[in-house]
Amino acid sequence: MGVTILLSYPVPENKTGPQTAELLIKRIGALGAVQSGQFLVDCETFSSGPTMGGPPRTVHVLHNSEQPAAVFALLESPGPPPKTVPLVADGLFDLLMLKMSSIYASKKQTRMEARGTRFEIADFLVKIGTVTMSSNFKGVLVEVEYRPCFIAGNCWELMREFMQSFLGSVVQNTPPPYFQVHNRLNDVYQPLDTIQQYLDHFASYRKVAGL
Amino acid sequence: MSAYSVNISVEAPVENQIQEITYDGQEIYTPPLTMSEHLTKLAQKIDFAKCGPEELNKEITEIDKNEDEAEQSTAPPLWPWDSVRNKLRNALTEVSVLADVLSIAKDKHYMVLDPVPQEPPELKPMVQVYARKKALAGAASVLLSGADRLKNLQAEALRNRTTPDFHIELLRLRQNFRLKKVSNSIVGDLSYRTAGSKFAQNGTFEVTKAEEDGDSPLSPPCSPNASLSNKPTSALRVTVPSELQGVAFIKVFFQKDQDSLTAAQLNLPSSSTANAIPDMYWQPKLEAAQNVLFCKELFNQLAKDAVQLQSPIPHIVVGNQIIASVLPGIQLVIGLCHSGVSTDGKTAVVPPSSNGHDHVLEHSLHQLLRELHHKNTHHPFPHPSSGPIGPSKRRRLAGPCAADREELMQMTQSETMLEQVIKQAQHINLRDRTLFVLDRLAKDIKDPLITSHWNALNSPTQSCVKINIVAHMYDTICRTSLLIHVNETTLKCITRDGRVIHMSYESQELRDFIMCQVYLHQMTAVQNLAKCMGWQCLANSAQLGVGAVEPFGNASSCVLASPTGERLISVRCEPKSGVHVTIAQSPRKDFFPGQLVKERKWENLGGSFKEVRWDKMEGKNFLNKMELLMASLTSS
Repeated sequence: MGVTILLSYPVPENKTGPQTAELLIKRIGALGAVQSGQFLVDCETFSSGPTMGGPPRTVHVLHNSEQPAAVFALLESPGPPPKTVPLVADGLFDLLMLKMSSIYASKKQTRMEARGTRFEIADFLVKIGTVTMSSNFKGVLVEVEYRPCFIAGNCWELMREFMQSFLGSVVQNTPPPYFQVHNRLNDVYQPLDTIQQYLDHFASYRKVAGL
Repeated sequence: MSAYSVNISVEAPVENQIQEITYDGQEIYTPPLTMSEHLTKLAQKIDFAKCGPEELNKEITEIDKNEDEAEQSTAPPLWPWDSVRNKLRNALTEVSVLADVLSIAKDKHYMVLDPVPQEPPELKPMVQVYARKKALAGAASVLLSGADRLKNLQAEALRNRTTPDFHIELLRLRQNFRLKKVSNSIVGDLSYRTAGSKFAQNGTFEVTKAEEDGDSPLSPPCSPNASLSNKPTSALRVTVPSELQGVAFIKVFFQKDQDSLTAAQLNLPSSSTANAIPDMYWQPKLEAAQNVLFCKELFNQLAKDAVQLQSPIPHIVVGNQIIASVLPGIQLVIGLCHSGVSTDGKTAVVPPSSNGHDHVLEHSLHQLLRELHHKNTHHPFPHPSSGPIGPSKRRRLAGPCAADREELMQMTQSETMLEQVIKQAQHINLRDRTLFVLDRLAKDIKDPLITSHWNALNSPTQSCVKINIVAHMYDTICRTSLLIHVNETTLKCITRDGRVIHMSYESQELRDFIMCQVYLHQMTAVQNLAKCMGWQCLANSAQLGVGAVEPFGNASSCVLASPTGERLISVRCEPKSGVHVTIAQSPRKDFFPGQLVKERKWENLGGSFKEVRWDKMEGKNFLNKMELLMASLTSS
């Protein structure tokens, strides 16, 4: 699993979401990328009912088509101190959550999905996807993975240059906020980090009302 | 008329009784009973306690007697049927009480029914004695008949002491094979089904009692040969199915690429090694049959793989042979040799096997099939034990470890048996070639010594060899090491400085490479030697771009200067043509001031290089000669 950077591409005023995605696909195609299938990252949220006592906790269950055998779950407990507990589990975890429907209720309307095409270009893997929340369009997410490296600090500059070549000035010169905390730039990159980045972006999309 | 007559009126007596006479003399008669009233009056008189028909007559007479008396005593009943109803109610009460008692007694909580001790019946001792005697006689007759049978069997066994007992033999057979009784015959199973085989051919054999042959030891033998042969006879005879009779084995050998079509039509000689003795001891017979079944399954599986696999040169399956190409020019032939039972009973001479077959590969094949059986029966057990059985441990860990798609794809790929055998065969071939090349080189090249150490532990598809190149007596000066991994069709060579070179199966590539390494070694050794001797290395180049182009590799050279700087040695190593050494002297001996160059100082520029006649040089090997050269140049 290489280092993956997730970026939210702002949709310009005069264009729709799918048009923006098309534009990015054309740009990456011009660089010589080869399309290699589709990808899907989805997130379902469960919140604990009153039977559990205490402030309500949320569990986010995410799936990533890159790791088809794994299910990622993040538990956010707001009780002091607020902490997030991550878990990587087998596919049976979904069934476990179904069994716990009396304790953790799923909020169906907040199910978010990022779906799109994936492109392979040399050592990079680029995924351009549209984010929808129960069929309402929310935004465009671009995921860029540099496969040979698994320490973010070693390849940030390279990735920034590559991303700026087809995304333009949307890419900041500093690493994204996810990597700036907890010394993540020098840690070994895990698939869970990708999922956490997705979750952060989904949370910010949820806050944006309308669209 | 006369006054003396009295009028007499005759009238019937009054039937109805007089109820009362009023004061005015009027008689009030009780109204006559209606029919139903009369009936009720009579019914009242019935005593329901005693209801026998003989008593009814008594009743009727009693009723007649008592009718007169009863009328005064009984008060008129309120309701004609009242006494009947009372009597019935009493009866109902009695019955209800009985039902209640029975239901309570059933539970045995509050009431228990105890039998009232009866009087014991009177004993009739003689009858008992006779009954017991009869029963004992019946039992005794059964036991006696059983004992008689056993005595007969034992007497028979004592008579024929040479033939072992059928049952003991059967017991021994049961310890080795599974037997089942089907209707009235004993049937056994010698297939590998319980070990995990899925082969369709059944391996059932039948066990029968070996009948007494016509020629007992007493009667004269029909032919002198039969009696002399002391074959071990057995009390039971085992009949194996006809397709499993005889002896079979799998034969694997390599063949060079001749006219492959004719080679395919070659029938493997069916070596009839089986001495078909009808009464052969059953253990080797069953084992041979089992082996035949195993070989058949193995060949069947390989043939299936051969047909299904797609390879650049397709595999040929002909009759009882599978021909697969291992490397261009070399083929692997897997054949199933099955000798049937020879009917004439003569022991045939075993023809010697034409080409030595590869026992290692045959053993490998057996192991591979056993591995297949093992995988069919032993499924990896899940942790926790509530997990699903089926996925292997790696697949179960794929979830929590977030394995990506390539890893999952790799898990699903598996190799067929034929592929594995071909890989092993390729490796064996390549290893032999590498071995041959290295030994040849070690024999041919005397100057630096080449030693190869093969790893003792290998896998069926990979071996490693470490090669050291040293000069005799100068092993501390310089040693070049190489590590070569021999895979199935490629070689990977890792040099000491970290270079990795991949070579194909052509042995010429390895030869050329080792030659290049030898000459590089010479160059490095010379430089190290120069350091020891105090000479200075002025220049060196590993891949020299001047001079003639080499057919393989590159020339290398170095220039050495003596400690005083007066002498120069230049060494050029070419892999093809060997080593050239030239020397030069700094103040030129042959300087003569001419028109252009007038001053004496120009003699210090150094003279031209003159080649040394290396074959006339003193010294045992190249380094020795270099050392002596350097020594002589330093001193003079």
